[in-house]
Amino acid sequence: MKKILELKNIYVGNEEIKILKNINFEVKKGEVLSIVGESGCGKSMTLRTIIKLLPKNIKILKGKILFNELDITEIQDMERIRGKEIGIIFQEPSSYLNPLFTIGNQIEEAIKNEKSKKLCKEKVFKILQEVGLPENVYYLYPHQLSGGMQQRAMIAMAIVNNPFLLLADEPTTALDVTTALGIINLLKNLVATHNLSVIFVTHDISLARFISDTIIVMYAGFIIEKGTSEEIYNQPLHPYTKKLINCLPEKYRKRERILTIEGEVPSLKNLPSGCPFSNRCDFKIDICEKYLPGEIKFENRIVRCFKYGNIVES
Amino acid sequence: MRQYIFKRLIQFIPLLLGMTFISFIIIQIAPGDYFTQLKMNPEISPETIENMKKLFGLDKPIITQYFYWLKNVFSFNLGESFTYHVPVSYLIKIRLKNTLALSIFSIFLTWIISIPLGIFGAVKEGKFIGKFLSFLAYIGISIPSFFLAMLFIFFISKTGFLPLGGTTSLFYENASFFEKFLDYLKHLLVPGLILTLTGIGSLYRLMKNNFLEVLNSPYIFTAYAKGLPEWKIYLKHALRNAINPMITIFGYELSSILSGAGLVEIITGWPGMGRLILEGVLSSDLYLVMASLLIGGILLIIGNLFSDILLAIVDPRIRLR
Amino acid sequence: MKIILKRLKKRNKLSYISFWIIIFLYLSALLADLISPYPYNKQFRDYPLCPPTRIHFFDYNRKFHLRPFVYEIRLVNPALNKYEIVKEKKCPIYFLVKGERRKILGLFYSDRYLFGTKEGKVFLFGTDIHGRDIFTRILYGARISLSIGIIGVSISFFLGFLIGGISGYFGGKIDNFLMRLVEIFMMFPSFYLMLSLRAVFPLNLSSFQIYLLIVIILSLIGWAGLARIIRGMVLSIKEEEYILAARALGLSTFRIIFKHIIPNTFSYTITAITLSIPGYILGESALSLLGLGIQEPYPSWGNMLSVCVGNLRVLSNAPWMLTPGFFIFLTIICFNFLGDGLRDVLDPKNW
Repeated sequence: MKKILELKNIYVGNEEIKILKNINFEVKKGEVLSIVGESGCGKSMTLRTIIKLLPKNIKILKGKILFNELDITEIQDMERIRGKEIGIIFQEPSSYLNPLFTIGNQIEEAIKNEKSKKLCKEKVFKILQEVGLPENVYYLYPHQLSGGMQQRAMIAMAIVNNPFLLLADEPTTALDVTTALGIINLLKNLVATHNLSVIFVTHDISLARFISDTIIVMYAGFIIEKGTSEEIYNQPLHPYTKKLINCLPEKYRKRERILTIEGEVPSLKNLPSGCPFSNRCDFKIDICEKYLPGEIKFENRIVRCFKYGNIVES
Repeated sequence: MRQYIFKRLIQFIPLLLGMTFISFIIIQIAPGDYFTQLKMNPEISPETIENMKKLFGLDKPIITQYFYWLKNVFSFNLGESFTYHVPVSYLIKIRLKNTLALSIFSIFLTWIISIPLGIFGAVKEGKFIGKFLSFLAYIGISIPSFFLAMLFIFFISKTGFLPLGGTTSLFYENASFFEKFLDYLKHLLVPGLILTLTGIGSLYRLMKNNFLEVLNSPYIFTAYAKGLPEWKIYLKHALRNAINPMITIFGYELSSILSGAGLVEIITGWPGMGRLILEGVLSSDLYLVMASLLIGGILLIIGNLFSDILLAIVDPRIRLR
Repeated sequence: MKIILKRLKKRNKLSYISFWIIIFLYLSALLADLISPYPYNKQFRDYPLCPPTRIHFFDYNRKFHLRPFVYEIRLVNPALNKYEIVKEKKCPIYFLVKGERRKILGLFYSDRYLFGTKEGKVFLFGTDIHGRDIFTRILYGARISLSIGIIGVSISFFLGFLIGGISGYFGGKIDNFLMRLVEIFMMFPSFYLMLSLRAVFPLNLSSFQIYLLIVIILSLIGWAGLARIIRGMVLSIKEEEYILAARALGLSTFRIIFKHIIPNTFSYTITAITLSIPGYILGESALSLLGLGIQEPYPSWGNMLSVCVGNLRVLSNAPWMLTPGFFIFLTIICFNFLGDGLRDVLDPKNW
């Protein structure tokens, strides 16, 4: 299948801190890729890097982002790609929608390559129907919608130009379970009908397994493991991934005590030298504290741990 | 929307009653009343005084007196000026026009200047020009209006390119309507500019901070992610959201404009309410003072109502609650 | 205190400088007796509206003198207030020169002045229409203008805390009533309210009575806004978890207010005090300027300017008469800088 997006050797940050380090992955047409990790590991930052909307003091330091064979890092007018070829949805739709404009207005202004007002409006009605919203939502303001409806409106806004790629930044975290499931099913449908590629950021590894083809696990700005969702879920390699999966309640019987991961994610300002996970790892050996493990490839899988071979990150 | 405005109107009624009550109390505390002065005036017969006493209910308990007084207030019978011997309402009518002209002129100018300047300052925040504007804003906020007025007068007395004092020139009587209007405007310019200059500072800072805050909000991120051009993000999304909190402070702004106008009127010789109330105080013309206070308060109530309605029009969260 | 200053110095130079300017102004006001070259009510009848005296180190022959000196000046045209320098007459400036006896700081008498000339006059900022030294009068006027800010703010804050605190803490009907009252007070334009309250009292009062009256009027105007803000803060703090915890632990209302609520409003209070002092200084100046405040011969920055109101001739011939206005401006801008700096520094988020 055709590659839509490829990140090559991406470093993001500034002089003081490096937020993303040596990020490599690719997304194929129609593929759903999940990025999993605890908060602060660089998941959302990866998404923001792809559309080049980083906080003011943070820059892409190194690497290439190939989007349809075009290097995004070198593009000046990102406006023609954002919204048109890459859409994005967020965790809290209520604050990401402008409270002073109608949903119709906000979707309409996202439409590109359509001059006629009438056709624009028709397009909005069509997309509203597609995301499962009634037509009158066009005339409503964000505060008049429920959280689930707001998220559907956000999705409508993101896919109205039929983009190649949809970035979803924890789109269901702020919603209750039934509403969240509705959104997940909607996303699955859209992937099928539009042949859409999706990067789905979540901290919920079982949700990631349910929705995606491939899973990337991130920790402290590194990709520490990558594989198909079944592989990751059933045979995790990295000690961190194993622990993440061990934390899932569904792995336990009633009244059994759930294991948690001891310790905390190290702050980006003072990472331990060597493997960033070394301070919480049960399989720690001497080398872990001295050197940073490099990426080890097994067929389609990637893991960054000295347990599987002595490859050191340069 | 209609319900909201109606609700706001209802809420202003106790406020109005409270204000009139406080004004009334102040009159009561003040030593000597209207009639002791009238009695000393030989031109007024004792019968008229008796009649007036009945009109104001002076033989009744104090609360009843208040309601009599209130009734008179609402029929625009605000009492008679001790010094001018004309109804207070007549004096106020002339002066109110000038104060309103001055206030509206400078409010308009202040907003027209501060809002674009605030946006500019927000965009240039941290750069030299932004810091320079912030410094100027500090000066504008800190300079007392009367001091600025005196500086203005000093420079005008040296150059003499704008008229000072009064509302009209000598030739006013036999000028055409347009000339009259221009002449009035020319006289308005000095007090108007002084008020504007003292008002811009705080409004600029407010607008700048609002705009900066809005630029950091998630929906602006969405607008960028949609691929909108930057000018559209600024002028559509950020501007509308940054102006909303400005409208809520409009009532407060009006209060400071009216107060500032009072002083500037006195110093530049613009015959408005400020000068009227000072003349009242200096000649112990109590009814004149209280009526001016009341009118000032009512102006603020109207201003607040206006900003409430305006906010309801521009903010769907209020309109469609 | 020291920590705050240090942080101010590091984060906000302008407000740090402002802090020291304010200290300097208050000290000069306090030590007016010691610094001023003349008594505040001394009228030099031969020198009305005399321009500021220039202090020289070089004379007209370009000769350098280590001791600074002034030239004697002479009124040549009383109608136009034209002065002329007497070039032959150099008057050196000495420290601790002799003059009229006056009481210093209310403690002891002295006839020595910090600086001055034996012959000729030294008017640093010029003189007013009665020939009084403006520099001296600014020093003495600062006592009124600067102290009213502090005292007025204290009373307003006391009232604001009391009423806002009661309103926020007890809520319900009390809250409703008090807040309506606050709204009513805020609905009057403050300038109008100030003059109206002044109108209730007789115009001729003693200096001390007037001083008290101004403080009371300004506090009556200022408390309302504060009470409303304090109420809001109390309401939000009341809902905080640690207050709920204190309540759950069974602490008394009194203890909760004094141990938990008031300390939490501290940083806000400091900032708000600093930022509201200018309002009181302006209020006093405005009243005195209009002849309703501090009366002659005692100076305040406001009443020193009152000659300029509606008097074009004075204003255009003697712009140095506006010096008190400049000092009002300087004080206010310093308080504004300091207040904003403090807000920045005291905010726990910025630590």
